[in-house]
Amino acid sequence: MRTDPSDNGGLFVGRRPGTAPVHFRTIPERGGEKRQRVDGSIARLMLAAITLLCLLCWGPIPLACLWLGSQANYVTGSVSLGILASFVALFALLFGTLALMKRIDGAWILVRRAAGYDQRTGALGRIFAATAVVMAFAFVLWFVVIHGPGTGLVAHGGEA
Amino acid sequence: MSLLDYYRQFEGMSEEEVNQGLREEAAERRRKALTRVQTLDLSLTTWPELPHPRIVNAITFVARRGLHRYPHLSGSDLRGLLAERHGVDPERLILGNGAGELLSAATRALLEPGQQLLTPWPSYPLFPIMARRAHGVAVPVSGGVDELLEAAVREPRVRAIAIASPNDPTGELLSAAELQRLLESLPAGVAVLLDESLVEFVDAQPTGAALELLEHHPQLLVFRSFSKAWGLAGLRIGYAIGAPGSGELLAELAPDLGVSEISQAGAFEALHSCSELVERRVQVICEERPRVTAALRAGGFDVADSQANFVWAAHPTLAGGELAARLARSGVLVAAGDALGEPGHVRIAIQSAAATDRLLNAIDKAL
Repeated sequence: MRTDPSDNGGLFVGRRPGTAPVHFRTIPERGGEKRQRVDGSIARLMLAAITLLCLLCWGPIPLACLWLGSQANYVTGSVSLGILASFVALFALLFGTLALMKRIDGAWILVRRAAGYDQRTGALGRIFAATAVVMAFAFVLWFVVIHGPGTGLVAHGGEA
Repeated sequence: MSLLDYYRQFEGMSEEEVNQGLREEAAERRRKALTRVQTLDLSLTTWPELPHPRIVNAITFVARRGLHRYPHLSGSDLRGLLAERHGVDPERLILGNGAGELLSAATRALLEPGQQLLTPWPSYPLFPIMARRAHGVAVPVSGGVDELLEAAVREPRVRAIAIASPNDPTGELLSAAELQRLLESLPAGVAVLLDESLVEFVDAQPTGAALELLEHHPQLLVFRSFSKAWGLAGLRIGYAIGAPGSGELLAELAPDLGVSEISQAGAFEALHSCSELVERRVQVICEERPRVTAALRAGGFDVADSQANFVWAAHPTLAGGELAARLARSGVLVAAGDALGEPGHVRIAIQSAAATDRLLNAIDKAL
């Protein structure tokens, strides 16, 4: 058994990525148990807000932008202007929402630490991916089964 | 603390901030390491360098060969080599655990309770202690040979005179002529214990001058050490040489169970292979000693004529303790005279030309 920590065959063995301790500027003064419970609840609310905003990014916001574009087309009679309005609104809303979520995610980390957890990373990436999967599944369900060719196929098959 | 501040305190530092802090700490460490100046210790009379690797190897060899055995009681190899070096019969030389222990043993052997040991003062602080341990009385005498003779003739209880030559802390040498005068004028029955631990640094007379007096003065015992010029203070080894026919007395001084084999091996190897090294050390001391003495005298110090690896100096206005404290602030340590018998003095060891430069700079600043 090798017991010499420097005997690593030339391989530098350091700390695994992401396992570094959090360095605080000053040692934080944590609140009491009650305050930590309240902070835990606030953190959960913030997580719910991030989830809601993520869901908005995958459906309602693009739909709202399409509606806005159609309104611009209707008012001006220009398709190009309608498309432009849709894109501008889409970028503004999506990036605005992402920026907002990023800030909430940063605040969520602090509130989680205040609640007594050793929170090192945010949850935004994982929530964003999870909501993307959920919304993709919902879209496929809507497109194929509820409103897409599936209904026609079912109807056509029925007539046959 | 406001609500926002409460949560902000949980904000972690970014990797860049952490690294910046670490870089600043490393730069500070480097800056301190570059600006740190090692303290120059001139308060000790032992040699400042580490022992020669050959000596360490010889000690290691002996240690590995077997420490489970008792050493040779009389240390015949080392004794023989020392006797040959000094041109005396090996029967006239004994080894001891340092010259100090042999001096103590000689005092115990010579003094009856209540008898007196004369010693010039200031001198080696062990002298009064060894008189007390022999249940005798130490009598410090200020002055030279005349004062010692006067005290020895006046007081019949005087049994021995302990003299360090060169003297610690003054560095003064008792010349062979003066020693001869003392020996020839002393009352019968008064022995002279001559501590020559620093004799290697003498350049005013041959280092064997006192040994030659042994031939005609059986009341003289000469003590030498490997602790100073040989730089082996940690081995605790020294030796005593007596006059022809002094074997019985010398046998009383020898340690009951001999001297450690490790010490003997170190001393033997030092004699064999490091004589030139010691000569170079002595040469440096003999070059630097007049330089330090002259510089201090030019600065108004009263400096005794030293033949040792240190000088004994007194400033006309500054007490020894105050001067030592001021020098210590410049990173140079010297021995204040308070513990050595004269509070007005300091004992400054001489080491190398660089050490002398630094010492003289520090003295300029201190004054």
